[in-house]
Amino acid sequence: MRIESHPIIDDFKKGKKVAFTYNGKELEGYEDEPIAATLKAAGIEIHRYTRKNHEPRGIYCAIGRCTDCVMVVDGVPNIRTCMTPLKGGMVIETQYGLGAKGAES
Amino acid sequence: MKRYHVIVIGAGPAGLSAAIEAASHGMTVGLFDENARPGGQLFKQIHKFFGSKEHKAKIRGFRIGEELLAEAEKLGVEVHLNSTVMGIYFPMNKITVSNGESTTSYSGNNIILAAGASENAIPFDGWTLPGVMGAGAAQTLMNLHGVQPGKRILMVGSGNVGLVVGFQLIQSGCQLEAIIDAAPKIGGYGVHAAKVARTGVPFLLSHTIVRAEGTESVTGAVIAQVDEYFQPIPGTERHLDVDTILIATGLTPMSKLAEMTGCDMKEMGGKVPVVDQYGMTSIEGLYAAGDVSGIEEASSAMIGGRIAALAAAAKDGYIEQNEFEKSYSDYQSSLEKLRKGMFAKENRGKTLAVTDEGLPISTNLLKHGFLDEEEITSYPGMTSRQGIHPVIECTQNIPCNPCQDACKFGCIQVGADITRLPIADVKSECKNCGMCVAACPGQAIFLVEEDCGDHMAAVTLPYEFRPLPEVGEKGYGLSRRGEEICPATVLNVRLNPVFDHTAILTIQVPKEMAMRARFYRGSRKD
Amino acid sequence: MRKLDDRNIDLGEIIPELDDHIIICRCEEITKGEIREAVHMGMFTMTEVKRLLRPGMGLCQGQTCSRYVRNIIAKELGVSPLEIEDNVARPPMRPIELQVFGNEVESE
Repeated sequence: MRIESHPIIDDFKKGKKVAFTYNGKELEGYEDEPIAATLKAAGIEIHRYTRKNHEPRGIYCAIGRCTDCVMVVDGVPNIRTCMTPLKGGMVIETQYGLGAKGAES
Repeated sequence: MKRYHVIVIGAGPAGLSAAIEAASHGMTVGLFDENARPGGQLFKQIHKFFGSKEHKAKIRGFRIGEELLAEAEKLGVEVHLNSTVMGIYFPMNKITVSNGESTTSYSGNNIILAAGASENAIPFDGWTLPGVMGAGAAQTLMNLHGVQPGKRILMVGSGNVGLVVGFQLIQSGCQLEAIIDAAPKIGGYGVHAAKVARTGVPFLLSHTIVRAEGTESVTGAVIAQVDEYFQPIPGTERHLDVDTILIATGLTPMSKLAEMTGCDMKEMGGKVPVVDQYGMTSIEGLYAAGDVSGIEEASSAMIGGRIAALAAAAKDGYIEQNEFEKSYSDYQSSLEKLRKGMFAKENRGKTLAVTDEGLPISTNLLKHGFLDEEEITSYPGMTSRQGIHPVIECTQNIPCNPCQDACKFGCIQVGADITRLPIADVKSECKNCGMCVAACPGQAIFLVEEDCGDHMAAVTLPYEFRPLPEVGEKGYGLSRRGEEICPATVLNVRLNPVFDHTAILTIQVPKEMAMRARFYRGSRKD
Repeated sequence: MRKLDDRNIDLGEIIPELDDHIIICRCEEITKGEIREAVHMGMFTMTEVKRLLRPGMGLCQGQTCSRYVRNIIAKELGVSPLEIEDNVARPPMRPIELQVFGNEVESE
C-alpha cells in the first residue's frame, strides 16, 4: 500500500508512472523507485524461492546486503530489487533457485 | 590512476561531513557510495534531532542530509554513486571500485572509512518468511519510497531504532500491534517510548518472539515471556495477529573493509578498527569515522567525520598547527557534550536509579513506556499553576536543549550542561505561542491551562499525524498509556511553517484530566 | 593446550536441541543443527565450517549469518565467541561477476 498523505514528507519525489510486467502480468509503478518498493506497494510479498528447500523469500534488509529480494529482471537473475530502479517495460519474474530458469528447475 | 588527496568511503553523515571538512581546506576529495542516493541513514530520519544548536538540534535528519549534500557539492567534492568499493589496498593507498559494469582503481593520500553499520538479525523459527524484515528496511520503504511495509506490525526491540521506527509506522498509517523486548526495560529514550505509548501501543518487556507463522508470508506471530536467562517460559505463549515482523535488535559495524587493510581491530559488539582520538587507525593515512568505528548516532558521526578529515588536512600541511588545534578542540568538546547523560557509553548496562539531579528515574517509563501519575510532579519541568503554562515531561538526562532556545520569554531553562532536566520557570509568563511544543524533539512538552472555567481544562499537545483533526470536532482525550479517559473537544489546530510539520493541537477536557490527558483521538466513524 | 587447538578433544554425543531446525545461513539454507553437527565432526573454526557447509559463501558473503555461526561454534566448544577467529577478510567486498571484475577501466 502506498502512503497517500504523510505528516512529515510532503513529496516522495516520484518519477513518472511506467508499465512493466510481473510474471507476465502488466502492472504500474513509478520510474526509478526500487523494484522492491513497487512490488511491496502492489501487495507482492514473494520475490523468489530458495534453491535447496524451495522456500519463499522477500524483502529483508532493503539495503542491498542480504540478497533475499533478488529476482530475474529482463532475463538476468540475482538482481537485487531493493537497489535496482524500475524502468518502463521491465520484465520481472519470480526467481527459482540461483539462476534464470523457471519453476521446473 | 586518478589520485585524490582524500578518498571517503561511504556518503552517510560521517562521510559527507569528512568530505566537506577536507574540501574546505583545499583538498581534492573523492566520495564513494554503493547506493544510488547519498546520505546513508540520514535521509530516512524524519524525526527532529536532539542535542543543541551546534548539533543541529530540532532539525529533521533528512533536512540535515540535504544541507550536507549541497555543501559537499558546492565545495567540489566528486561524488561517485552506485560505486561499491571492492577492495582497499595498503601501502598502495588504492581502492578498487565497481559500478556494476566495470571496475576502476583510485588512489588517495588519505582514506577515510565511513561505511556505517548493518542491522543485526535474530534467527527464530520462521524468520526467513516474507514479512519479516529489519526495522531499517521498513524505514527505507516508508520514508524514502512512500510504501507501507505491512498493515499490522510487531516490532521486536525497544532501543531507539525500534521506538523511532515504531512511531514512524503509525505516521505512515500502519497498525503497530506491540513493541516487545527480551530485556526487562525499554532500551531507548523514555520520550521516544512515550510518543508511541500515548497512541495506545503496548510495550511487552521480558518477551521474545518464538515463531513467525505462515507458509508463503507472515500471517501471525507467537511471542512468549522470558525468564532472567532470556529463555521462553513454557505456557506463556501468545498469538499476535500481524502480517509484518520488524527486527530492531542492534547494529554491527561494517568493518570488513577495515579488516582487509590489516589495521589493528578490536571487539566492540563486532570487530571495529582501533582508532586514536583523531580517528586514525594503526595504518598511517587510513581513518575510520561514524558507526563503522563504533555504533553511536548521526550527530556524533558528523563530528567524527570532521575530526578525521581535519587530522588528514593537518598531517598533509593543508592547515597550520594552531588552527588544527583550535578546530580539533572545538569539535572534541562538541562531541563530548553528546556523550553525556543517562545513555552515555559509561552508563551502558547500568541501571540508574536517579537522575543527575537526584530525582528518581521513572521505572514505569522504563517498563511500560509512560510516566505514572504519581511520578509526574517530582520533575522540575512539571509545575502546577494558574494560567497557561508549559508542562515538560522530560525526565531523563539526555543532551538536548531546543526547548530553552524555543521560548523567547524565558519560561524554560536547561543551562550550560545540556543534559540537565529542563526547568519550567514559574515566574515567566507563557504566551501560548506553542514554539516549545513544536521544538521538543521528544514531543514531551505540553501547554496546560488547568482551569479555563466551567470545570474545564485545556491541553495543547504536539500532533504529527494525518489527517489533522478539525476545530470543533469531538473525540477522546487519551492518557499517557493511550487509554481513552475522557471526552475531548478540539479547540484549536495550529500548523505554522516554523513548527516544521509538527501541528499544535489544543483540546478541551474535564478539569480533573488536565494532568492526565496527553493525546487525542477522534470518534470512530463506524 | 588451548581448547581450540586440541583436536583430540571429545565433545561427547551431540544433544539435539529444539531449535536445531532454524535456518542460520539464509543464503545457503544451513540450519543450526547442521552447524553443530559440523563442530562435532571436528570443524572447530569458522573457515572449516564454511568449507564444509558453505555458510558465508552465499550471495551475501556472511554479512547476515557470520556472527551467529561464530556463536554456535563457540557454544558447542564451550568457549567464548571472542576466541573463534572470523573468516579472513579479502577482496572482493561484494559478489561480482567475472565480466565486471575483468572489465577494468582507467580513471582519469
